[in-house]
Amino acid sequence: MFTVILLLLGAQAAAQQYDILLKGGRVLDPANNINTIRDVAIQGNHIARVAAAIPASEARKVLDASGYLVTPGLIDLHFHSYGYSGAIFPDDTALLAGTTTVVDAGGPGYRTFADFKKKIVARCQTRVLALLNIAGGGMVGPSSEDNVADMLPDKTAEVIRNNRDVIVGIKLAHFGKPGWDAIKRAIEAGRLAGVPVMVDQSILTNSGRTSRETLLDIMRPGDMKTHMYNDRQIEIISRFNGKVQDYALEARKRGVLFDMGHGAGSFLWPVATAAARQGFYPDTISTDLHAQSIMIQQSDMPNCISKLMLLGMTLEDAILRSTVNPAKAIHRFPELGTLGEGRSADIAVLALRDGTFAFKDSWGKKKLGTKKLENVLTIRNGRIVYDAEGLAFPEWTKAGNYEVIP
Amino acid sequence: MRSLLLLLAAFPAHAQIYDILLKNGHVIDPANHRNERLDVAIVGHTIARVGKDLPPEKARTVVDVSGYYVTPGLIDIHTHFDAEGAWLNLNPDHNALPNGVTTAVDAGSSGADTFENFRRLVIAHSRTRVLAFLNIVAGGMYGPEIENDPKQMNVEKAVAMVNKHRDLIVGIKTAHYQPPDWIAVDNAVKAASLTGTVVMVDFGQKPGRTYQDLILKHMRPGDIHTHFYGRVTPQLDDQKKIQPYMWEARKRGILFDVGHGSGSFWFRIAVPMIQQGFLPDTISTDIHKSSIMLPHATMINVMSKFLNIGMTLEQVIERSTVNPAKAIHRTDLGTLSEGAGADVAVIALENGNFAFLDSGHGKLTATERLRAALTIRNGRIVWDEDGLAATDVSRAGPYSNFR
Repeated sequence: MFTVILLLLGAQAAAQQYDILLKGGRVLDPANNINTIRDVAIQGNHIARVAAAIPASEARKVLDASGYLVTPGLIDLHFHSYGYSGAIFPDDTALLAGTTTVVDAGGPGYRTFADFKKKIVARCQTRVLALLNIAGGGMVGPSSEDNVADMLPDKTAEVIRNNRDVIVGIKLAHFGKPGWDAIKRAIEAGRLAGVPVMVDQSILTNSGRTSRETLLDIMRPGDMKTHMYNDRQIEIISRFNGKVQDYALEARKRGVLFDMGHGAGSFLWPVATAAARQGFYPDTISTDLHAQSIMIQQSDMPNCISKLMLLGMTLEDAILRSTVNPAKAIHRFPELGTLGEGRSADIAVLALRDGTFAFKDSWGKKKLGTKKLENVLTIRNGRIVYDAEGLAFPEWTKAGNYEVIP
Repeated sequence: MRSLLLLLAAFPAHAQIYDILLKNGHVIDPANHRNERLDVAIVGHTIARVGKDLPPEKARTVVDVSGYYVTPGLIDIHTHFDAEGAWLNLNPDHNALPNGVTTAVDAGSSGADTFENFRRLVIAHSRTRVLAFLNIVAGGMYGPEIENDPKQMNVEKAVAMVNKHRDLIVGIKTAHYQPPDWIAVDNAVKAASLTGTVVMVDFGQKPGRTYQDLILKHMRPGDIHTHFYGRVTPQLDDQKKIQPYMWEARKRGILFDVGHGSGSFWFRIAVPMIQQGFLPDTISTDIHKSSIMLPHATMINVMSKFLNIGMTLEQVIERSTVNPAKAIHRTDLGTLSEGAGADVAVIALENGNFAFLDSGHGKLTATERLRAALTIRNGRIVWDEDGLAATDVSRAGPYSNFR
């Protein structure tokens, strides 16, 4: 009798080899050139299979994803969770938006990284990576961010080498003094540790710096210029002839990456519209999400994607720039940003809504659009963590005297 | 010349220029028995006028809210906030204001030893009006070691802290206390009695303490039992009939608060109770890091659940504005009375196919959903999902270098 039960259990287990099966969704997985109806099966923490018709009987939990988009969990390359006065806790917002990986853009420096790791990384369900600030004290204001004396390439590179699981690059941010010292030190640290540098640096009058030299002479291929549509930080469109600057085009050809970094100051409709008209889109879509930009601008990942689609970017392209491209930018491809079999089961299920929607830029000016991308379900590390439409759960009237339904 | 300028400067005040005029919305303001199409005018930080056909030419900003409901800013009397993201707590502003909540009462995250830090680090930096129930546990809601320790239940310390911060502390919270005695509840009640405030209790039945005794003997009229649709509260009998002591307690004046959270709202309990006429006195979220995920228990979503269970929109708004205001003795809030603080929620009632999960992940398929479209806090537009008050970029004038 006992063996029979064991056998039955074994048969059951073999039949239901998958934990979760997303059925009938339009899978958009640019890394694997998939853009069609597919089923996605998850086993434990991993993507087990992506195929045309996986039988429902093979999974313990089956979700009907027809009518929805199924994409790799979104990767937000520019997020603020630590140090910065407007920092927000990743789990408050990321997973709700389909973002399963956030990269903290320069919150901690080499002096504060351990604290960041303890307080933020360890406590989050969201995968939190970091660009280490070249300023030792991190993003805590001019006393740290302008202090070239504490921008130490050796120490920064050492902390990176010891924490490669979390640190994926370097950030230079808000440097407000003249000269090339800060950016050169950031890039030296990047060279020592073999990681890219994200640059957010004001080109002020009398700074002794120009965008041309920054993009063409100082930054390396693979380094990232964030806030690309901020017209006070980089003049990407010539104010005289409305054209994308030759040095921006040339920098892109060299391999310098341009990142969106929406935020509360860096996405302006006039700039983005002019750039998009000339085909100058972000390589990576990111939010620069913080306590301000999360309010009126609502610049979470689906919102940023919707805005770029309103400017003419295709959905496929937008997903590429929210998954594969950021993963590549931080040298985490193909571990992240794909639905490849065997990869971490980080997945977003998105709805593309029709209607009339208002999209507000960093200055609160709106443009009306007819399509809006909305996240409805998030799977992180194989677990359903968010489900706005109850796709994964039964109607309560049919669940009897239910306890917590797994 | 100088007097001319002064005259000109004075003119707008006499002409009663509105800063913001919400035009053509359907106002639901239960405190003033309003439920009709009315305009709402705001001057500075206060509601200046609510009336029919207020003149748009008198307003600096006219927001067309036709098709939307206009209600007092919502009041969520059960929240857990901390800007630092400590423990399970959330950032107040971006979890309250986008849901139409302008007043959030933190339910005992801090106690007498920690409230002043909470005030300095969280309340002072929040645009949301954050009030607090002070935990009778001096160390606050930070784990069983201190929350189960009777030495932490210091009445004198709690009373002193309430009296020092009467602008923010509206009552006493007792929660999560496990030992089989009444020390936590009775000390909370004592502290509340000495300060003229109310107690919010979060537990149901415990060994050595019956729920019946709690709501009929230990709590006072006006005190609040939260989580009353939860599994651990014996509110229904085996036939799903409401226990007589529930009605008796309600008659005594005990208030029943939702406190949805990730464990305390179950359709299998709430639906039969509402069908038998036992509605919540106050709707609240118990919002924290876990409850915003799967049950997605934001204020506007919790309200949507009650709407779909069968409560009227007016009943839902009443229990999210004027009722919680009364419960915490702050009748200056939760109303669109002229002269009241300009805290306003503009709400869309949408029809379609929606679903809501409860704390057990049971699903309610629904046809209606409330959505917070615009929020005004203290006279300022702080949330505007539909861009109702935003200027279209085509009419914005040259605001960038590359116009």
